[in-house]
Amino acid sequence: MGDGNNNSRNNNNNNSNSNRPEWLQQYDLIGKIGEGTYGLVFLAKIKSNQSKSIAIKKFKQSKDGDGVSPTAIREIMLLREINHENVVKLVNVHINHGDMSLYLAFDYAEHDLYEIIRHHRDKVNHAINPYTVKSLLWQLLNGLNYLHSNWIIHRDLKPSNILVMGEVEEQGVVKIADFGLARIYQAPLKPLSDNGVVVTIWYRAPELLLGAKHYTSAVDMWAVGCIFAELLTLKPLFQGQEVKAIPNPFQLDQLDKIFKVLGHPTQEKWPTLVNLPHWQLDVQHIQGHKYDNPGLYTVVHLSPKSPAYDLLSKMLEYDPRKRITAAQALEHEYFRLEPLPGRNALVPSQSGEKVVNYPTRPVDTTTDFEGTTSLQPPQPVSSGNAVSGNMSGPHVMPNRSVPRPMPVGGMQRMQPQGMAAYNLSSQAGMGGMNPGNIPMQRGVAAQAHHHQQMRRKDSGMGMPGYPPQQKSRRF
Amino acid sequence: MSRPSFLNNMADFLTSTHRAKWIFSPQDLKEKYKAANQRARQTLEKYGATRMEVDVDGSLSYPEPQTDAKDNVEKHSRPKPLKTEEEQLLRAFYEFKIQDVCDAFKFPRKIQATALIYFKRFYLQWSVMEHHPKHIMLTCIYAACKAEENHVSAEELGKGIEQDHQMILNNEIIVFQSLGFDLIVYAPYRTLDGLVNDLEDSLQAKDEQLQMLRDMNETAKIEADKIMLTDAPLLFPPGQLALAALRKSNEVHGVLDLERYLESLLSRQHSTHTISELTVSLNAIDSLVSKHETPTATDMKHIDRKLKSCRDPSSHEKSKKRKHRSKETSNPLQA
Repeated sequence: MGDGNNNSRNNNNNNSNSNRPEWLQQYDLIGKIGEGTYGLVFLAKIKSNQSKSIAIKKFKQSKDGDGVSPTAIREIMLLREINHENVVKLVNVHINHGDMSLYLAFDYAEHDLYEIIRHHRDKVNHAINPYTVKSLLWQLLNGLNYLHSNWIIHRDLKPSNILVMGEVEEQGVVKIADFGLARIYQAPLKPLSDNGVVVTIWYRAPELLLGAKHYTSAVDMWAVGCIFAELLTLKPLFQGQEVKAIPNPFQLDQLDKIFKVLGHPTQEKWPTLVNLPHWQLDVQHIQGHKYDNPGLYTVVHLSPKSPAYDLLSKMLEYDPRKRITAAQALEHEYFRLEPLPGRNALVPSQSGEKVVNYPTRPVDTTTDFEGTTSLQPPQPVSSGNAVSGNMSGPHVMPNRSVPRPMPVGGMQRMQPQGMAAYNLSSQAGMGGMNPGNIPMQRGVAAQAHHHQQMRRKDSGMGMPGYPPQQKSRRF
Repeated sequence: MSRPSFLNNMADFLTSTHRAKWIFSPQDLKEKYKAANQRARQTLEKYGATRMEVDVDGSLSYPEPQTDAKDNVEKHSRPKPLKTEEEQLLRAFYEFKIQDVCDAFKFPRKIQATALIYFKRFYLQWSVMEHHPKHIMLTCIYAACKAEENHVSAEELGKGIEQDHQMILNNEIIVFQSLGFDLIVYAPYRTLDGLVNDLEDSLQAKDEQLQMLRDMNETAKIEADKIMLTDAPLLFPPGQLALAALRKSNEVHGVLDLERYLESLLSRQHSTHTISELTVSLNAIDSLVSKHETPTATDMKHIDRKLKSCRDPSSHEKSKKRKHRSKETSNPLQA
């Protein structure tokens, strides 16, 4: 640690020629691939391994001057604990001390369900092949089952948050992304609804729309049902108009769209319905919105007797307690019938099926890491996100296809000295966050060495005696 | 027989960063404390002070090298570094303070425990001479609130205890970093609730017995609070901390044959550990608690003076001169 590299004043001089922070120098920045309320997402390549692409999600400091963004903290702390093939992988966390922003580096995924659905709807004009639909759905459920069995509710599942890998070795593998709203649901200290309104309105479960205070992992299953239908029809199933005046879970139009397709909820089908605040209060006379002929199967063009329809209707069960769980869904007959689901959802193992070539993600190469945009007009960038959604509204709005330039004045330029300081304190084992190919920073290695030296120099500065170490510490 | 439900809750502990990276051997801890102390000593020698500056932007810097360091050595005695024992006392004092502050804010036990674990982990990397434990204590509480979804603004927290909230924010990143962003931590309280639930079921407890079990749980939580102040959370998994607290509490209440219960627990878990192994652990936790001392304010005066002089010798000189005018500046206990 005494190598001077850690002294920010020294570093200021050392690095004065470069305005790129040290950690950034391990990447080649390609451009911006998405943006949301939390900040921006960039595509980068690792210099030492050009075949490896990384999505870097930048979190701005929280607006209210209250330090590191809680969304970023929530996402990092959950992703540090989980590890599953169908969940996006956090490979590193970088810190810019200049503006207290965090950069989360993920394995890059070339596609997402939003883009895949859009490609079929707008470009190739035919349905997604049944093998692909089934494989995407199975992997999505597989990842979700893992999350739910680890007591994590995602809370914001939507097509743009379901990524699909484009890289050769993991091609066609689904990755659930964007854990900014996710949380662990064992022993909540506060009712879950205190955390603000969650879930993009089209995929929001009816119990949330009706004001449920304690909701469960079933909200994610509702969203999966909506996504399943959208994969089949290429259209959002319940496309309600959002009322955005105040954060308000009650969305009359969204409920109305659901009722039209699934029929009116009744107390017989959903006994706890009458306890939900917005139903009880009969806000805007929702109890009176009656629709007679439920016609989900006509909307999704499935035979009411088909296993696919059976599974879908179990995901779109009104009563969250009766709604199918991820674990049950994985056991459903639909997945045991041909075509069987596979690991590469995009390319069926039996040839003969036509393989659709999905377009690569549009990259805005005119935006630099600080989010400043150069003067030339930006390339259109899709609102679909490599890493996440958190978009503020339904994403088919055509005007969302052009990135909103970040206000340059509001963003501080990076302070190289602050970045250097990161090395100093990264001794807490950030190496553990670096399981991939990202080279360790020099400072870290130097430190480890230094620690070794200090240990060797140590003589008997005794601590009060500890009891002998136990062989087993596991309960 | 089906698994008791609390064991399912513990399932995620088995794959956690807490278990993989933050449970140490006593030897590990000793070395880490020594290394941090040693580094601060070297800094003191080199720069004449140990205080790490945390700037508004969260970056760190060492003190300015003292150009007149040699003169100082001749004119005054060089400030003396804290011994590791003194550092430990200082940490113990501020850990006690964490419980104080959390009580004052009526934060749930889980937040208190999270803040304590953050604080303990932080000082595995750093010496109190480098980062003042008063600052780190508050930042750990702030960070624990953020991680446990009980958000309190830095301003609110600062106001409540008359401390500058900017200092809390300045230290936030260094705390998160020093924790390696491993922010999900496991405290014994939840397991305790699970154990007591399991006991209620297996004894099919009714009325009086039920009340006794609940009283035992309350006592056990107070025992767990004591355990949380020792090094035990860095040495043992939360399940064992909970069992140690329960055993202690059972000594008072005498509700059950704990040995027999532990045996049934181990067999239901298909554990490869024997009851005697478990007993050794629980005894070790007990002994950490009985040896633990929270220093009094008077004890602290001497150490705090030493801390001040090595963190920032010049200000120490000034404060010495001002001492008769302002008692507050030399009072280490404002937090």
